[in-house]
Amino acid sequence: MARSNHHIIVEELRIGWGTTVLMEHVTFNVERGRVFTILGGSGCGKSTLLRYLIGLEKPQSGRINIAGVGEPHSYEGMPPFGVLFQSGGLFSSMTLAENLALPLAAWTPIRGQTMRKLIQAKLDLVGLGPFADHLPGEISGGMKKRAGIARALMLDANLLFFDEPSAGLDPISAVELDQLILTLSQDLGITVVIVTHELSSIFLVADDCILLDKQAKGIVAQGDPRKLRDESRIPFVHNFLTRSSPDGTANHGG
Amino acid sequence: MKSPLIYEGTGEPTKVCVVSLTIRTNQEGDYPSLVVSGSFDLAHAKQVTQAVEKVEEELSRCRSIAIDLVHVERIDGTGAILLARLLDRLDVEGRKIRVANNQNPEAARLIALYRERRTESMRPKPSGRNPAARVGEFATEMFGGGAVALDFIGRCAASLPKVIASPKSVDWRSLPRLIQEIGADALLVTGAANLLVGAIIGFLGVSQLGRFGAVAFVPELVVVAHFRELGPLVTAIVVAGRSGAGLASEIATMKVTEEIDALWSLGFDPVRWLVVPRCLALVVTVPLLTWVGDLLALVGGLAATTAITNMTFHAYLQATLDHVTASNLFVGLIKSPFLALAIGLVASNQGLLTRGGAAAVGGRTTMAVVQAIFCVIVISAVFTFFFSLVGV
Repeated sequence: MARSNHHIIVEELRIGWGTTVLMEHVTFNVERGRVFTILGGSGCGKSTLLRYLIGLEKPQSGRINIAGVGEPHSYEGMPPFGVLFQSGGLFSSMTLAENLALPLAAWTPIRGQTMRKLIQAKLDLVGLGPFADHLPGEISGGMKKRAGIARALMLDANLLFFDEPSAGLDPISAVELDQLILTLSQDLGITVVIVTHELSSIFLVADDCILLDKQAKGIVAQGDPRKLRDESRIPFVHNFLTRSSPDGTANHGG
Repeated sequence: MKSPLIYEGTGEPTKVCVVSLTIRTNQEGDYPSLVVSGSFDLAHAKQVTQAVEKVEEELSRCRSIAIDLVHVERIDGTGAILLARLLDRLDVEGRKIRVANNQNPEAARLIALYRERRTESMRPKPSGRNPAARVGEFATEMFGGGAVALDFIGRCAASLPKVIASPKSVDWRSLPRLIQEIGADALLVTGAANLLVGAIIGFLGVSQLGRFGAVAFVPELVVVAHFRELGPLVTAIVVAGRSGAGLASEIATMKVTEEIDALWSLGFDPVRWLVVPRCLALVVTVPLLTWVGDLLALVGGLAATTAITNMTFHAYLQATLDHVTASNLFVGLIKSPFLALAIGLVASNQGLLTRGGAAAVGGRTTMAVVQAIFCVIVISAVFTFFFSLVGV
């Protein structure tokens, strides 16, 4: 694959605070238009890594480069990517429509009827059409997450970051979300980076993945998740992707 | 080797030992080691506890103990924590503990993990430290906190030109709501506080000045004391307690629910979006609340004085009007916006510093109120000192 097709390049990233190192030697690339997942057990730093990728934190050392943007914490103005946070991250004092209107009003000249139509279209896309005038406190956790996805899509960015998108969604909504991610990636060529440990979702949508391990303080495997599941000889990787316990008991429910 | 002392969890000597803690020594009875063998897990928790209890007394006679984990067949959190606590107790009693971790690194690591956590929670509190060390720690923390506060003030100052250049980066829509919440909704409580303080000054003035037949000076005392010092101070303290806590907890909650992160990701600077309108609302409303409070304090002073002296309503009013000068009014009202700004900056800074969950929101809110009230008093004192110097 040509280097120019890399949408995100991460080189020798070191994450931590003070003398504490959470991760080091983190190196990977995300190809343009593909679905990339960040996997790992609870507390291994998946969401923390995402915070660095979207520029909320500065790494201790190493480099993150987003094509056309540069370092993610250095951009000013219209955000070059959309982000769905774990809890949705909706502004609780605004209705769903106002939440979605915020990025449009700030960064585009779109106003009035056109704006309302765009907002309604995005809400319809995530199945929240009738809830435009509801406050986040008046809808369920799963609905908040879907509204967060709609807001992440508002500026039609070509790079999206989703933190645990299926957590809290019912199985049907989760499958619909997977379909939406596939549509965004395959039909619109949008690069999607997902933090998750939903195995069914990973094997359905992910093109590539990295698997993080707390003890290794970094990446223990990367590549096609299906290949890793079938071919990896690293016990942790195999156990994680086959939902097996360390003593070899497998549960392929995922 | 001497014959070992074996303490088994079953309490009775058995051939198949499920759990045992054995003290071994060399021929001379020196260099004792505690040989841990068997299954130290949840299933055998009772036996482990019994074995630990039995061996502890014997171990208390040893000065140094080597822990041998090579015969541990199985260990989980339960077994590890029971052994870790045993070692902690021996440690506290002054025994030298050495765990041989090269033979069973997993067990040694697990025990060390629980001991580390215990060590952290058992770390002596500053009260037990050398006073000089405590002063040093306090100074370090104070300078650290001061640096964070200065950094935040610097960021706020740097954001002002950007606010002018890009007014859309501020949440102006929230300004009316904030003015309503900080100003109109607080009027009752700040008004009541000022009214009562005015009455207190009145009563105090009558009781003290009355001894010298100087009750006629009570209206002047109320005006000068309240307009110049107590009015702005009382109002700002009430606002710090009420609105400062509200602002800090609102921003802290936004922080823990990822709303602040969402702002960043949408291209907004939280300082401009959140802090600027809050500080502006405070700077606008606190002087107004102070002014209303000053008027109510005069009413309080009037009511108190006329109720317990022969001074008439008209006489009190006339004496008051004689002393309501531009100087007295200006000295008080000029400091109000600065006190308001301090409340806004402290509350916003504490809110944005929040890390963790709901408990952190409470902690930051308390810190915001304490710091805001302290800042208000310090700033007020600095103004008083300055006005005294320049003779205003």
